[in-house]
Amino acid sequence: MSPASTGATPLTGRVLNIQHFCTNDGPGIRTTVFLKGCSLRCKWCCNPESIHPKPELAFDLKKCIGEKECGLCLKECPENAIYVSDADGKVRINWDLCTNCGKCVPVCPPEALYEFGREMTVDEVLAEVEQDASFYRESGGGITLSGGECTLQPDFSAALLAEAHRRGINTAIETAGNVPWEFFQRVLEHVDTVLHDHKLSDPARHMQWVGVDNVRIKANFQRAYEAFPEKTFIARTPVIPGVNDDEEHIRTVLAFIRPYKNVINYQLLPYHRYGESKYGFLGRVYALKDFPSLPADTLRRLQGIIDEAFGRATDAKTASA
Amino acid sequence: MNPRATKIAINIGSGLLPGLDLVLAGAALAADGLGIEVVGIRDGYDGLLYPERYREGGLVPLRPGIADTAGRGGSLIGVAARTDPFRVRTITPENQVDEVDRSDDVLEALRAAGIDAVISVVGGSAITGLHALSVAFKLHRKGLRTVCVPKSVENEIASVPQALGYNSVLSHTAEMLERIRTGAQDIGRLAVVEVPGQHAGWLALQSGMAALADAVLLPEIPYDLAKVASTLADHEGVGRRPALVVVAEGARPVAGGATAAPDAGGLRASLTPNADPEFGEGEHVIDRTGAAAKSVALALQRLTERDVLPFSLGHLVRGGASTALDRQLALAYGAGAVRALHAGEDGVMVTFQPPDLKTIPLRETLNRIRTVPAESELMHIARALGIAFGDQGEVRP
Repeated sequence: MSPASTGATPLTGRVLNIQHFCTNDGPGIRTTVFLKGCSLRCKWCCNPESIHPKPELAFDLKKCIGEKECGLCLKECPENAIYVSDADGKVRINWDLCTNCGKCVPVCPPEALYEFGREMTVDEVLAEVEQDASFYRESGGGITLSGGECTLQPDFSAALLAEAHRRGINTAIETAGNVPWEFFQRVLEHVDTVLHDHKLSDPARHMQWVGVDNVRIKANFQRAYEAFPEKTFIARTPVIPGVNDDEEHIRTVLAFIRPYKNVINYQLLPYHRYGESKYGFLGRVYALKDFPSLPADTLRRLQGIIDEAFGRATDAKTASA
Repeated sequence: MNPRATKIAINIGSGLLPGLDLVLAGAALAADGLGIEVVGIRDGYDGLLYPERYREGGLVPLRPGIADTAGRGGSLIGVAARTDPFRVRTITPENQVDEVDRSDDVLEALRAAGIDAVISVVGGSAITGLHALSVAFKLHRKGLRTVCVPKSVENEIASVPQALGYNSVLSHTAEMLERIRTGAQDIGRLAVVEVPGQHAGWLALQSGMAALADAVLLPEIPYDLAKVASTLADHEGVGRRPALVVVAEGARPVAGGATAAPDAGGLRASLTPNADPEFGEGEHVIDRTGAAAKSVALALQRLTERDVLPFSLGHLVRGGASTALDRQLALAYGAGAVRALHAGEDGVMVTFQPPDLKTIPLRETLNRIRTVPAESELMHIARALGIAFGDQGEVRP
């Protein structure tokens, strides 16, 4: 048993998913552990199933085999939140009546009904992560904690990353920084690379698109740059057309990060819609449904500003999300 | 028997449709005759949850005088954007965004304003669908006296043959389709037009019939575009110039049919267990406006010699003035809901079943969708008119 999980009740975290072979979540080939629960509500969120801290029901219509063949979930639901569509004989969820009790999940044979999120111990997570250990050595990769917001579970995240370090695994986190400083600090102590988001510069617009202003976020980042000079920080912006694809935002972020030598890069992540189908599984509406994609020349222009600030030759290629 | 209501509030769930202001006028007129006071709640439940945001305090008195100007479109009191009183977004003292249940605050605000019953105009659009109905049902379960008025673009509300606004949207849609068809026919092109209809194809079917479409693709009938193309060729063969294919936004291809296969989605999608290769990246995902027309147009282009043009009507057909039928329906639903509450009814929806205006329990309409039956006479008639549905039952003209 590892030191992280000794004691009467082993420490657990709410894990959403573990993705193998990620190439955009830090150096090398990485295994990304998504934790559940977020303190922001970005309208473009591509991981909607990570937002709420508790386990949530999801439904994949394509897997449902219909009431005639099965219909077990209908008998199980105490809220009458599951019903049959006349059009195809398959079930649907009334998401307004569903209370996420999860009783329908174990009775669904084709796993059309499933749950996002489960409690896992540090050892359980690392057993999964270490399957990819040979790739880390080859590529300089490791484990990345993402979310949700991984620093919202500071005890679990710190224990997991500390144990990963002890086993010689490189560590990174993806964070938006909207947590109390104590949480942030506790996790950062065990991180090699901090991928952190500068979503919008203006506090009022940050509030409009993300749900809260960015005052605490900026304060946390600045304090982290100063308190952890030995860590590597990589600033990032998910670039959303019409929201933050302006030069002013990019230049404001550059002015904020450039004084700190430990912030080694600023990456642009062009807006994509990977998350869109998952909104359907959760019965939610994607707020940016009809947003256009980001034009390539906008991205090139913004990337040029960053390259100039970092004293690099402009590269037409940009980071992809 | 419930005590008679003396003060009633009305609110409107998400989704603008023609005739909403006439529901308010109908309610105000009927209430005046019965000595009942009526107020409108601004923007769904926002008028009760955030009264400070409104100059008049979030509740608007609705007097008979509003009937003089009603009928010009719009909703007067606003519709619920996305506020659900059971999941109200707030910022916690820890500066975190969270959703909290404020339904008790809504009930308390109603009590404080002396309101003893609520009329909710519910139903309407795509995924949110009958969200407002479910909210009304849950508030009713918590003891609120409730009567619902059905409104819908898709006319998919169970046990309601004629939802408010459908007739106007149908009329606007058919008019647009007719214009597009005439234009396309003249220049020898094929227009593929997406119309609202995520779950039920009534609008696509009826507007397609009215505009004499060559094919109509419904959510209820998975389509095979090879069959559609063969019908188009048949039409050419008898001297008709095919020009119009109507696609409901919820229409889906049959498995293995001739369709625009979405891109498998690149390296990341193939490497991530949660990514669905059928969705992958790009826009062939859930109801992105215009996606159905685009994918059908692309695939059909490979099967026909005519140039294919995709169009999406979407929001263009949801505004504007009401048809005569909807004007009458809106006034009747508003007045009927007040009369139902006055008669002591609770937890019901009004529905027009000529010559009666009936009420049905909310439970009967909840969790059900009224779809187009494939074997109905209306479908047989549409086939007799030469309309293809991309399924097995095509009839040659």
